[in-house]
Amino acid sequence: MKQNTLKYIGGLLLVLSLGACQRTFVASPVLENTDVPVDKTVTADPQMEAKIAPYRQEVVAKMSEVVGTAPKSLTKGSYETSLGNFVTDLQISQSQKLYGKPINFSLTTDGGLRVPLPEGNITTGHVFELMPFENELVVLTLTGDKVKELFDYAAQAKFVFINNSTYTVADSKATDIKINGKPLETNQTYTLVTSDYLAGGGDKLTMLKNPVKYEKVGMLLRDAILQQIRQLTAEGKPVTAEVQNRVTILP
Amino acid sequence: MKRRDFLRTTAVGAAGISLLGVPFSAVAAQSITLTILHTNDQHSRIDPIPDDGRKHGGMGGMARRKTLIEQIRKEEPNVLLLDSGDIWQGTPYFNFFGGELEYKLMSEMKYDAATLGNHDFDNGLVGLEKMLPHAAFPFVSANYDFSKTILENRFEPYKIFEKQGVRIGVFGLGIELDGLVSKSMYGETVYNDPVAVAREMVQELRDKQKCNLIVCLSHLGYKYSSDKIDDMKLAQQVDGIDLILGGHTHTFLDEPTVVQHSNGHETLVNQVGWSGIFLGRIDFSFNKSSKKKTDVRTAVLPVNTPVTTS
Repeated sequence: MKQNTLKYIGGLLLVLSLGACQRTFVASPVLENTDVPVDKTVTADPQMEAKIAPYRQEVVAKMSEVVGTAPKSLTKGSYETSLGNFVTDLQISQSQKLYGKPINFSLTTDGGLRVPLPEGNITTGHVFELMPFENELVVLTLTGDKVKELFDYAAQAKFVFINNSTYTVADSKATDIKINGKPLETNQTYTLVTSDYLAGGGDKLTMLKNPVKYEKVGMLLRDAILQQIRQLTAEGKPVTAEVQNRVTILP
Repeated sequence: MKRRDFLRTTAVGAAGISLLGVPFSAVAAQSITLTILHTNDQHSRIDPIPDDGRKHGGMGGMARRKTLIEQIRKEEPNVLLLDSGDIWQGTPYFNFFGGELEYKLMSEMKYDAATLGNHDFDNGLVGLEKMLPHAAFPFVSANYDFSKTILENRFEPYKIFEKQGVRIGVFGLGIELDGLVSKSMYGETVYNDPVAVAREMVQELRDKQKCNLIVCLSHLGYKYSSDKIDDMKLAQQVDGIDLILGGHTHTFLDEPTVVQHSNGHETLVNQVGWSGIFLGRIDFSFNKSSKKKTDVRTAVLPVNTPVTTS
């Protein structure tokens, strides 16, 4: 009896103390099943399927169109890749007509190119997977100092690809930098074509922010890639790019 | 810590408190359950991930998710369905239709609220505004200030849901857009410090709005080694959030991470990877007689591992 009374008082005190913090309902989590797998054992809801169907048909038709062929796959990696070379080169060739002025070099990053391009038929769908984002091409005018900073970052980060250039990596710094075969002049300005995402400091390319000049090309990067592949195909050419040992790494 | 250990820890806590107590049955009779279902980083994954040998191939799919949600709604009296952002970008559905189908299907599933991820700005403020009429659910965003943009007054910082008398406050936090999203896309949207905003939200929801449970939909990311704000730092620095449902880092967790505060309050942090591979589920029990955790079920279940081949 006495024990029951004590229990009652104990309970009452707890009720009062919790009441004071104004939480009439106290939450207790049950964490038995916090990840419900959405897998093949789950039947697709038929009404949802019906809603998706017309959209899916349109997507499939557009995506399965073959736009070109690659004799071997264009791959991802560090410092210099066939995929990086293909994209940086086409960024210049596709921008040139719209931009109208000389572009010295071109830049992309490994993370920005989401998947490799496969060997064989290349479809619109592959290009969408490679570049799913609505990034547009921009031309930046940069001081030579900023360009030096850019190459140093490329040497250290390994995932930045720059065409029309060669450099040597020593102690995570870039040395012997040449653009179009000529040594980098820090008192000169250079024009660079890249995506608006990277130009905005994406992938920590902070040295690209606040350039001397920022000009939009007026073309999405994905459209540039698609157009390049279509043009190659129209000329009877395959989709290829070689690694040219643009970067020398000292041990 | 594996889920197994977590449940054990919780069971010990429960036993300690139940010694004080009213009989379990009396408590159970007054208990109200709330089932929180959640997704993050759906990335326009309308159809299942192609089953072509890639990671998580054959998993996901919004029509399947609808089936699961319907099933749970039949079993549970109180369900909240929430999303932590990056609904958009990742499949051609977004590129061709601008996010229309994603919003329509989420409305079909009866999402209760979502917050904005960085990729939800990918078609700019104009692209977002254009698609909002397709969303029958509200977006909550407490730390983005849209007052100088075309989206002024289109979002609320929080929303309160009431289920059988239990008040649940849900607020949203977004990631710093500078460097992540092109300025031309987010325009004059101002990013405010998530920690300060979250503290204000807790005060507002707990004290003024008398909420019993505070949920934060966050697109900050789970954990960074740098001092960039993330869900774990938020959970430690802000006292009073019950549950942080995160996104951005595409983190798969075996179980929610528990952050214990000095006053005994616990903040759970959860995230369910990306692409709708999993539907997150957390059940809360509430009891009116103020017995903390007397009714935590302590069944030990195996930790789910991603089913990649089923």
